[in-house]
Amino acid sequence: MGAPVHNLATTIMDSTSKKEISAQRRHKRHRVSNVFFKYYFLFSILALCFVLGLVFIFIGKTALLLFGQISPADFFLSFNWTPEEDAFGAAAFIVNTLSLTALTLLIAVPISVGMAVLNAEIAPKWMTSFIRPILDLLVGIPSIVYGYLGLTVLLPFLRRVSGESLGDGLLAAALVLALMVLPTITRISDDAIVAVPRKYRDAAYALGSTRLQVITRVVLPAASRGVISAVILGMTRAVGETMAVVMVIGNTPQLAKSLFTPTSVLTSNIVMQISNVEYESTWNYALHMMAFLLLLISFVLILIIRILGRKRRDQA
Amino acid sequence: MKVFKKFTVTALTAVIAVTASFAGVAAAADSLKGKITVNGSTALLPLTLQAAKEFQKLHPKVKIAASGKGSVTGPQAVKKGIADIGACDWDASMDVPGFKAFEGQVANKVAVIPFATIVNKNVGVDNLTTEQLKGIYSGKITNWKEVGGSDADIVVITRSFGSGTRVNYQAKALAGGDIVKKEKNYKETGSSGDMKTAVGTTPNAIGYIDLVYVTGGDIKAVKYNGVAASTDNVINGSYKIWAYGYYMTKGQPTGATKEFINYVQSKKFQQGSLKKLKFIPISAMQ
Amino acid sequence: MSNFTRTRHTARAQRRDKLATIALYGLGALVMLLIFWLLFTILGKGLPGLRPDFLFKQPEEIDAGGGIGPVLFNSFYILFISLIVSVPLGIGAGIYMAEYAPDNGFTSALRMAVEALSSVPSIVFGMLGLAIFAEYFDIGLTILGGGVSLALLNLPMLARVTEEAVRTVPGELREAGYALGTTQFHVIRKVVLPVAIPAIITGVCLVAGRAFGESAVIILTAGLSTSGEMWDFSLFSPGETLAVHLWYVQSEAIVEDARQIADKSAAVLVIVVLLINLAFRFPLWFGKRRQGLSRK
Repeated sequence: MGAPVHNLATTIMDSTSKKEISAQRRHKRHRVSNVFFKYYFLFSILALCFVLGLVFIFIGKTALLLFGQISPADFFLSFNWTPEEDAFGAAAFIVNTLSLTALTLLIAVPISVGMAVLNAEIAPKWMTSFIRPILDLLVGIPSIVYGYLGLTVLLPFLRRVSGESLGDGLLAAALVLALMVLPTITRISDDAIVAVPRKYRDAAYALGSTRLQVITRVVLPAASRGVISAVILGMTRAVGETMAVVMVIGNTPQLAKSLFTPTSVLTSNIVMQISNVEYESTWNYALHMMAFLLLLISFVLILIIRILGRKRRDQA
Repeated sequence: MKVFKKFTVTALTAVIAVTASFAGVAAAADSLKGKITVNGSTALLPLTLQAAKEFQKLHPKVKIAASGKGSVTGPQAVKKGIADIGACDWDASMDVPGFKAFEGQVANKVAVIPFATIVNKNVGVDNLTTEQLKGIYSGKITNWKEVGGSDADIVVITRSFGSGTRVNYQAKALAGGDIVKKEKNYKETGSSGDMKTAVGTTPNAIGYIDLVYVTGGDIKAVKYNGVAASTDNVINGSYKIWAYGYYMTKGQPTGATKEFINYVQSKKFQQGSLKKLKFIPISAMQ
Repeated sequence: MSNFTRTRHTARAQRRDKLATIALYGLGALVMLLIFWLLFTILGKGLPGLRPDFLFKQPEEIDAGGGIGPVLFNSFYILFISLIVSVPLGIGAGIYMAEYAPDNGFTSALRMAVEALSSVPSIVFGMLGLAIFAEYFDIGLTILGGGVSLALLNLPMLARVTEEAVRTVPGELREAGYALGTTQFHVIRKVVLPVAIPAIITGVCLVAGRAFGESAVIILTAGLSTSGEMWDFSLFSPGETLAVHLWYVQSEAIVEDARQIADKSAAVLVIVVLLINLAFRFPLWFGKRRQGLSRK
């Protein structure tokens, strides 16, 4: 009679102590993995910083040699880029890069954010699960295919519409770029909007808001951080994209006076010329300085977008 | 840093050894081995790739890696020691307009490349003189009617500065004349393919390209001083716009590199594949 | 009176809501039409002449009828290497930025610097890769060099996408985790990552698609030729990829069917990217379905 009771007791005791031991083990394992992964994440970020530093030094090292040969004023303020005659003015490229980026975002952002809202808030599920993979597909189309289609389809079209005989210029480049960054901005904004907690929306609907009001006053402000990141990622891709741009922009180093002036931006000029210059030449240093400048410009643009975004969010 | 480099190199060598033992199946009786890196002119790339393919069949232990990003990258890569052969559209051991000579490099002739002036199919002009071309590229002539065509603006399409095609075209067709950028109707392209597409899709466009690429109905080659651009006219000496293609090497080539260049210069390759690729054998010009 | 204005307000708000909905659907339709036209143009040109043997044959320089066998293989191989390097590091760095890094000026400056890095033209990464692998380590043009250089190009983007994905996970979820007294990593693994993973996968897909279509980096670091053998796993063979081959046939190739090869290669590229997307997303869908079932 006593034995089974005793047995039962030991079994219970056994299992609790076993549970305790396994809990302890688990706890220990968690602590170890916690420490391990903390260092792993730290290692990853250091690796990223290393890459950042590497690129920075790699470009900067050669770029700074430029100012041993010409004055910064000649580089930044002159619009005359004729390297054959030792004129290395980059001002036209800088202005063109800013115009092209602005034009691209002007076209791409409203469309992309609209698409993201449609995907995340409005369209039925079957539709979104169809649209999203299609958009992802767009990212994988190599840029030279975009460029080729730009050259053979977009340019003839623009020529017909504008009456120009060439058609190359900022508008053609901006249209191609807008199409290229569309999926990036759309998909990342889409994810940010989807991540806004359900209850925010429910609360707003409960107050009798329409869907549009909920979207503009609750969802988009709540998702603004992610949407801004999406815009920035799209923008940096647009600033850095080359293979497609060089096919439709005209590659003529001069200030773009109209949307159809054949012109050149920092990236297109770097790509067109960097493999055709000698390593130890002012020209090569100037091209590296332009790459360096590109980093600085996008850094400043990002700063501006972030500040604007913060203001918007504070207002909302 | 030194230690790090040493370590990495050791690690890499280990990986090489392992992958080599995997890959080391093809063991021919042939003793020639090594790795040849070819860099430089993209215009010579089809020739290099074809030659590499045939050469590797003969000597399976030789690995050939080829790349290209522009003529001047060839001799530069050789100078830096990251390529054994630098393909270049001009003799880089001598000064050419825009580029200084590369000291200590040997230019090995491998092919003759003819170039052609091309226009869009809608252009009615079929002959241009040296002076007319100079006028067009310097921006003095801007309308087709000035050279006997219909009343339409000339759209000038050119290669970017430093392109081998441009260097040769300027020297031979424009007799050293300048190519001047214009505010309108002027465009630079980055490759032969882009040039062909741009001239082919832009009405009233003029450009220049290796003769090989003049195919299809969208572009047509115009005569130069009354002489048609053709292989025969190059060989008989009446058509002047052509140049040698070179393999630049650091000093006289040795080992596998030497064998490879010999193969490319051999009668078998010159009269066979090279001709099929529509280059002209170097022997035809000597 | 006030009731009246309110209904008028509501009526106007509702009208606007309807208009906006219609406008957005219209926009969606237009964009989809544009994309379909684009895909139709690319696939319509390439698919009709596409035969299976095109995917396995050697490229040709003289005779028409060349294939893309080795370059297609290299594309996958280089993509694989670049993902092996960039995904763990990118995700790790992203998690660090979101979960561990102190919220101060330095962190946000670092974040912006990382973002700015994506605007460096890929050719500069190519030149960096050339300087590292061809000059410093002196191994020439190799698949390894191409893969790692590609990873460097993609690292910033991956880190940023991961950080954003992790940050959008609501704070309450984490707090609930900590309330149970478990470690930070355990919370990240069990609470944060499951919520963030779809967005991270979007990021990986974007990066993989971009890597697959990238050409400038590969031309400089892995070259424009192949070893001429199919299934050459050597990390030290030259590694021309499909996107590079596409550039080559479109830019310089002499072979007479260059245009058709370019069209077919473009179509293959698009299809492969679709397959990559599906491959990444399939486990996700499957996981969701299983979750949904277990909840019921």
